[in-house]
Amino acid sequence: MFVFIVRRLLFLPVVFFGVTLFIILLMQFLSPTQRAATYVRSEAQLRNIDAIIEQYGLNKGPHVQYWNWLKQVGQGNWGFSKATGEPVWASFKRRFPATLELAILSFIPTMLLGVWLGSASALNRDGFIDQVSRITSIFFWSLPVFVLAIWLLVIFYGGLGWFGLGQVTTAHSLEIIKPEFQRYTGFMTIDSLLNIRFDIFLDVINHMVLPIVTLVAIQSAQIVRIMRSSLLDTLTQDFVRTARAKGLAESIVNRKHALRNAIIPIITLGGFTIVGLLNGVVITETVFAYPGMGKWLADAAVQLDTASVMAGAVFTGILVVLANMLADVLYAVIDPRIRYN
Amino acid sequence: MKKLVVLLAALGVCFAFAGDPNTYVEQSFGDVDTLDPVQAYDSASGQVIENVYEGLYGYKGDSVTEYEPRLATSYEESADGLTYTFKLREGVKFHSGNAFSCKDVEYSIQRALVTNPPDSGAWILMEPLTGLFSDANTELGEGATDAQYDEVWATIDNSTVCLDANTVQFNLVAADPAFFSKMLFYAANIVDSEWAKANGMWDGSAATWRDFIGVDLRDYHLQNNMSGTGAYKLVAWEPGIRVVAEKNANYWGGAPSIANVVLQQVEDEASRIQALKAGDADTVALGARSSLPQVEGQPGIVVMDAAKDPSLGWSSVAVNAVFMSQEINSSDNTNIGSADLGLGIPADFFTDIHVRKCFNYAFDTDTYINDVLDGAGQVITMALPTSYLGYDANVPVYEFDLEKAEEECKQAWGGRLWDEGMYLTFSYNTGNSSRQAVAEILKSNLEYLNPKFKIDVRGIQWSQFLDERRNNRLPASIIGWIPDYADPDNYIHTFYATTGYYSAQTGFSDPEIDAIDEQARTESDPAKRAELYSQLGNLAYEKAPYILLPQGVPFIVMREEVSGYYRNPMLSGGWLWKDLSKN
Repeated sequence: MFVFIVRRLLFLPVVFFGVTLFIILLMQFLSPTQRAATYVRSEAQLRNIDAIIEQYGLNKGPHVQYWNWLKQVGQGNWGFSKATGEPVWASFKRRFPATLELAILSFIPTMLLGVWLGSASALNRDGFIDQVSRITSIFFWSLPVFVLAIWLLVIFYGGLGWFGLGQVTTAHSLEIIKPEFQRYTGFMTIDSLLNIRFDIFLDVINHMVLPIVTLVAIQSAQIVRIMRSSLLDTLTQDFVRTARAKGLAESIVNRKHALRNAIIPIITLGGFTIVGLLNGVVITETVFAYPGMGKWLADAAVQLDTASVMAGAVFTGILVVLANMLADVLYAVIDPRIRYN
Repeated sequence: MKKLVVLLAALGVCFAFAGDPNTYVEQSFGDVDTLDPVQAYDSASGQVIENVYEGLYGYKGDSVTEYEPRLATSYEESADGLTYTFKLREGVKFHSGNAFSCKDVEYSIQRALVTNPPDSGAWILMEPLTGLFSDANTELGEGATDAQYDEVWATIDNSTVCLDANTVQFNLVAADPAFFSKMLFYAANIVDSEWAKANGMWDGSAATWRDFIGVDLRDYHLQNNMSGTGAYKLVAWEPGIRVVAEKNANYWGGAPSIANVVLQQVEDEASRIQALKAGDADTVALGARSSLPQVEGQPGIVVMDAAKDPSLGWSSVAVNAVFMSQEINSSDNTNIGSADLGLGIPADFFTDIHVRKCFNYAFDTDTYINDVLDGAGQVITMALPTSYLGYDANVPVYEFDLEKAEEECKQAWGGRLWDEGMYLTFSYNTGNSSRQAVAEILKSNLEYLNPKFKIDVRGIQWSQFLDERRNNRLPASIIGWIPDYADPDNYIHTFYATTGYYSAQTGFSDPEIDAIDEQARTESDPAKRAELYSQLGNLAYEKAPYILLPQGVPFIVMREEVSGYYRNPMLSGGWLWKDLSKN
């Protein structure tokens, strides 16, 4: 197991160089003027384009640009994000915890709901719960994220006024922005508790409800469907029949024998789901004005803000490797055959 | 399920915030780029800067022609127009606690001239005070001698001189009637020199000035820290999320009424409208007039619309036009097809006045106003906002007339255009739907005239749009201009003079217009200037270098609790926060 983890970790530098070199090379398809677009916000600024290109070294060859970037990264400087107006690292530190918080709090209910509903529907095949869960999961799976998000926003924020927009209310934003409010971890839920501000904690949770509901509704639909078919498949296999033939109670057959085997594809999917949550929350974050990573990186890509895109790609690459590694470790925990091989 | 509902309801604590008279909340989609007044060149950044920093003078309320003293108390202009002397206000303190004096003015202006970053608006000060446009490195080029640099420094050093602690003198290289209005631009706002120097900014000396030429000021302390003299001081800026400011209790003009100002960035318009309705935002940015019905008549929301209430007197300062390039780059350019009449157009296609007139007559203004501007539009007769000195409403315009268009097109290129036909593309930057509509309107009318006329409407990414424009590869494109300073020269020269920024790009040149423009640029009598611009407008009508598009009509949506706002088109935010109050 140790060797396996080390081998996976050794893959990280490959990902780092591969992804960043690829982006630098891709940028070469654009002319220096196109690469300068991130600095030129109106046609009027075009008049100084030569000086802009010169200043930011946009006409240099890819090897020079890449080397300069590597040198900077080596010194811990990830460059300046034009999309936000601050160093990339500062944007990352500010936004990553917000998205991670949202992702974790969405991931757990997504998996629990997905597995529970998926297995309930497999075990009650064609029963009431199965019909309901199949229809709702198809409904949510095919529903565009922004539609659901705007519905929720209009009903629960605009109409009922139960939940807020953004990360905290304006009143609290005036407090958390001051130095008296210590940002120990960057996670607002944890920091508000560490500052012994339960009112802010509740407020933060309140603001996360709608984004979480949106993400869970849409992400868990997929888990439900995979879980259902995987369990149905497992239930027809020989070892399940054998277990039943041995006279084991139905609940033990289902839980200990069938479920444990059926859940393996869900673990793979779970790895992707967390990566997807961390990356793909762009629309949810935009609609709910939630200050996370997704919004930032999408803006950066559109504006050709190379420094942010590079950092975002490295981050995503590392995340995918780690999530896969975690999924593989979990396989071994769940499936002894993998452990012993 | 029941438990879930109870839980949700328990979490759903409704924070009634609109009633808080101490906090003003504005939601918009613009990203603040920088808080450094010299580096800034966009309205989201400008809005924060104009409330935290101050210039020597400022616009008076909503007027673009009347000014009021801010950090100065009076000024004098020499008879030859080359020297401006300002008496400075005494007893003013910066937010850091440092005292304001002439040294800060000298430092602030010279800092703009020394750094003059290429993507900033500092060139506005550079031209009158040094006669140069770009920063010293770019102007002098590679291999410049120390003596040449010394010369530039001498000009910069001499441009702003402290006569005593409370008197500053500006020395211009040539008379410039627009100089005073240029000094109202935020690049000329006064920063706290001691504080800036102590935090790694240029130390103001001749010894180090060359290290700061053309630098990216985003790498320095003033990028996200501010110490000005304004009625508000910066609390914090969380990029892409919010800017928070609080009132400056020691403001020389008296502390403002509202204690906190929060600018929130909310990209989604539906979300902003919900926030306005809920009272979480006092005002929100609406992308287009078509969104107005969603907020009109809603409880607690006031909509002020110059289209419904002309007495507001609001007009737009944006001038948009279809550019018809007279010197298209024809090498391997698919935008002009075969590069000859018939299956394309020649590179000098638009040099024929009949083509330009034909296109002008073919543009259906009413359709544009109804479909794109949602029924509220103002036709302009020249490339100048109606509120500006020199605007002449009596200059004729090309009204939509397909018969006249046909007549002109038949005469174009000695009749060849009509017989052989044409193909070209109209380009716009994707996402800009009003520009797309302009292109579609022209396409359908021109293609209707003659089946041999073929036009493709092409949406391209902003970066590619810039690239193709720079290389003159777009035969026809739609571009806008918003002012840097409130002087007609900022438009007229840009659009019509041979050396003007936009006219040079289209290749438009007319000696008669140039002569009038030169005269108007240095004429200090407003009445004479206005007369000259009117002449120029009439000439420009005859030459038809552009298709001028009608302007949108401005509106403001605001919570009813807020009062004191107005609309000054020269302010990035429309109004100053210090003038607001809330109950």
